[in-house]
Amino acid sequence: MDQYIELGAAPVASADRIKSIDAIRGFALLGILMMNIPGFGMNWDFWYTIFTGPRSGYDYLTFKGVEVFFQGTMRGLFSMLFGAGMVLFMMNKKEQAGQPSVAVYYYRRLLWLVFFGMINAFVILWFGDILFYYGLFGMILFAFRKLAPKWLLIIGVACILFGMIQSAWRWSETREKRATYIEAMAAKKEKKKLTEEQQQAITAWQQIEKVPKPDTAATNENYRKMHGSYTTVFSYWVPMNAENEINGTYYGLWDMLAMMFIGMALFGWGFFTNKLSTSTYAMWMLLGYGIGIPFGFFLFHVDINAINHRVEFVDRWRMNPWTFQELRRVFITIGHASMLMLLYRSNWVPWLMKALSAVGQMAFTNYLMQSIICTFFFYGYGLGYYGNLHFHQIYYVVAGVWVFQLIFSSIWLRYFRFGPFEWVWRSLTYWKKQPMKL
Amino acid sequence: MLTKPKLMNPTPSDPSVAAEKTQSPHHFSLSVVTGFTLLGLLVTGIWDFGGFSANLQSFYNSAAYGGNYKLLTAVSILFEGKMQSLLGIVFGAGIVLLMQRKSYPVPIQGPDVLIRRQIWFIILGLLLAFILLWPEDLLYPFGIVGILLFAFWKLPSRSLLIVALACTLIYSGKLFWNYADDKSAYQKYLAVKKVEKKFADDSATRAKKYPFDKTKDSASQKPILAQKKLADSLAKKKDTLNSRQAGEKSIWEGLAKNLTYDSTKTVSQNKSMRAGYSKLWFYVKNKSQAKESGWLYRMGVWDIGSAMLLGMALWGMGFFSRRFSSSTYLITAMVLFALGVGLAWLRIHNNAPHLTDYAKYVESHLLPYNLFYPIEKLAMATAYASLAIGLINASFLQWFWKGFAAVGNMPVTNYVLQVFLGCFIFYGYGLGYYGRFEQWELYTFVAEICLVQVVFSVLWLRYYPMGPLEWVLKCLIYRKRFSNTFDRTVSTTN
Repeated sequence: MDQYIELGAAPVASADRIKSIDAIRGFALLGILMMNIPGFGMNWDFWYTIFTGPRSGYDYLTFKGVEVFFQGTMRGLFSMLFGAGMVLFMMNKKEQAGQPSVAVYYYRRLLWLVFFGMINAFVILWFGDILFYYGLFGMILFAFRKLAPKWLLIIGVACILFGMIQSAWRWSETREKRATYIEAMAAKKEKKKLTEEQQQAITAWQQIEKVPKPDTAATNENYRKMHGSYTTVFSYWVPMNAENEINGTYYGLWDMLAMMFIGMALFGWGFFTNKLSTSTYAMWMLLGYGIGIPFGFFLFHVDINAINHRVEFVDRWRMNPWTFQELRRVFITIGHASMLMLLYRSNWVPWLMKALSAVGQMAFTNYLMQSIICTFFFYGYGLGYYGNLHFHQIYYVVAGVWVFQLIFSSIWLRYFRFGPFEWVWRSLTYWKKQPMKL
Repeated sequence: MLTKPKLMNPTPSDPSVAAEKTQSPHHFSLSVVTGFTLLGLLVTGIWDFGGFSANLQSFYNSAAYGGNYKLLTAVSILFEGKMQSLLGIVFGAGIVLLMQRKSYPVPIQGPDVLIRRQIWFIILGLLLAFILLWPEDLLYPFGIVGILLFAFWKLPSRSLLIVALACTLIYSGKLFWNYADDKSAYQKYLAVKKVEKKFADDSATRAKKYPFDKTKDSASQKPILAQKKLADSLAKKKDTLNSRQAGEKSIWEGLAKNLTYDSTKTVSQNKSMRAGYSKLWFYVKNKSQAKESGWLYRMGVWDIGSAMLLGMALWGMGFFSRRFSSSTYLITAMVLFALGVGLAWLRIHNNAPHLTDYAKYVESHLLPYNLFYPIEKLAMATAYASLAIGLINASFLQWFWKGFAAVGNMPVTNYVLQVFLGCFIFYGYGLGYYGRFEQWELYTFVAEICLVQVVFSVLWLRYYPMGPLEWVLKCLIYRKRFSNTFDRTVSTTN
């Protein structure tokens, strides 16, 4: 063990860990399952069914609650802490003569993360994996680690703006298609001969109009495949996973980078390390929730409208309100983080904070474990509950996993230094078996 | 955090570094090979600039005779893909060279310099792709793969070779996998075809079963006729392909159609490429995005990665420092050339049947025509580098080497210049010569652009220590304004 401490570039001893960061990370990690569980457990049609169905009942209320309060924010929180963790990793390690530089370890670590992300997607078969992207985007963050928090915040906001511009662009393209479609239809009514462009415009718009409606054939296929054997599910997901990773990396970059940069800025200001005053945290909580939650309710109803009255919706909004959903995300995410910091300081539920920080300390293990448990529970080669539960019922599974992970992590860390997958990851990064037992 | 005493010492002013660059043997070899690569990129790059498209190539390739075919084949054997691999090799060597530097002009750590440089490459690549509208840009993918592989630079050469080999095999495997996908698409297509044939037969039998006799009194036949019509329409409803079957049919048809020459495609492509800037922008955008996302993920990482890792390994072995004797370099070059040309011949031999009748090819061939392409490229690229280094002392070639080295000493400038000239000459927003020249005529442009680049580089480096873009990059990376002039004391010793 002595030798382990002497090795400069080596994992952080647990005493040095910042408990508040671990607690928030644990919270975010458990929260992520709320967003992911529909992906594990049911076909995406549920979305349409709930939006077009009655505005009451457990399913609707559960959905509304999750969408308004949590959608995107747990991922956001997790991204923020990933950014903060990157700075921490680089800060904690000292350069050693005759050893690869800390930067080399940092990049190796991320390459392994990309690798584990691919395992999560292509072996555990969880299509919603984020490790792949975190590994890649973390490689960009490195160059910004010494920047002043103010600049990090500016870059983060610039990323958000860029994402918004992209989204506004796409919306204007949709509206343009609608306009050409109306023109073409008018020409058709007057029995004029349509140009090739007009023909295309008609089919293009009809395609757009059809999009949110579920395709029963595809749904049935999906259900059948997900209830198949491992090889069936595997060959079903491989091409789609590849497509996801391509688009997620190339187009989804802004969404994740923005939160990572903001997280680095907040870390620089001492937000996550419990360095701000109680009133500051309280103010940010009120501000975050005060702006984010009403806006969230508004967006939810916009969404209901958008799906139930698709055509009118496109005609009504010159600028899609969803363009601004990033703002809702950022505010609620900051609200959550402030709330947790207040809870952490108040020492009101110390046992819960301790358990949460245990979960956060083993975040990597717990994240992969969620994939393993949920794919086993829902997929055909496991217990096969895919598509067999109501929307609100899948949240019983979430609660079960939460309780399990809170207890398991607390017990595990009583005997071991790291979570099991953390241990594998670290050993691979340093290319040397790491000590495990406490 | 890092306290390297040498770092704090800002003495080495840049001219001395530049001077060292032109003097030390490994820098000179690397510059020569880099310059050769940059000019060589044009040999196949001109296809994309000038409008000798894949569609046209498949026309000549499937005919398999004539002067155009011979020229295309020769270029394909000698250059296609090889220059990109060679660029990967020198790029990989360059990464190690940068990381091994003992000092930097400002107090900074090596990894920071490298990662910042790579990020600027990515940004520059995006500008080339979306401002100059060059979809085949290499700065973007090289920037990204350089970041991915950064952590490997300190591995011993042997391990690097193993990792490079693994990447090559994965690349090859992916080509095989694609082929296997095509094969299964073909099998599905055949199955759908069978169903279609059955439908056709069914309706023929139905027609026979209920013959409508026109000689009989039509009034009495009316109810029978109506019944028949109903039965027929019901049967037809059952007898059309469902959406899955139609999809499976169209996937293969699209695949096969994509390979065969289609003159309308060339016409419409020429029209689009000669259009004004905004139209051209939308036309090229999708291609650039596809290359930067899908291609990079599926193929590019392995393709570029294997070459970069090989380059790192070669650097570590002292390949660029002329560690081996000239005859060793020449023999290595010959052996690798033989291997590369052999594999290229195999590829081209199989390409013609692959293009003319893909269905037949899929039925009769176990392996794709390009399975060994990744190995071919690396072998031939290494052969070129080896040949150049082996001949670097030959007195009759000194003029050439100096020209190449000048180009190679300002690689970014020359790459951007090349893209700029190519786009300007051929695109609609420039002179608009896209698709107006024969293949062999395009090579006069290649010679012209090469000449411009060599002369420009030699002249520029006579007056300035660094190329213009190299200087801009240096200022951006170190976030400080440097001067780009020779230090007098150094230039006299040079």
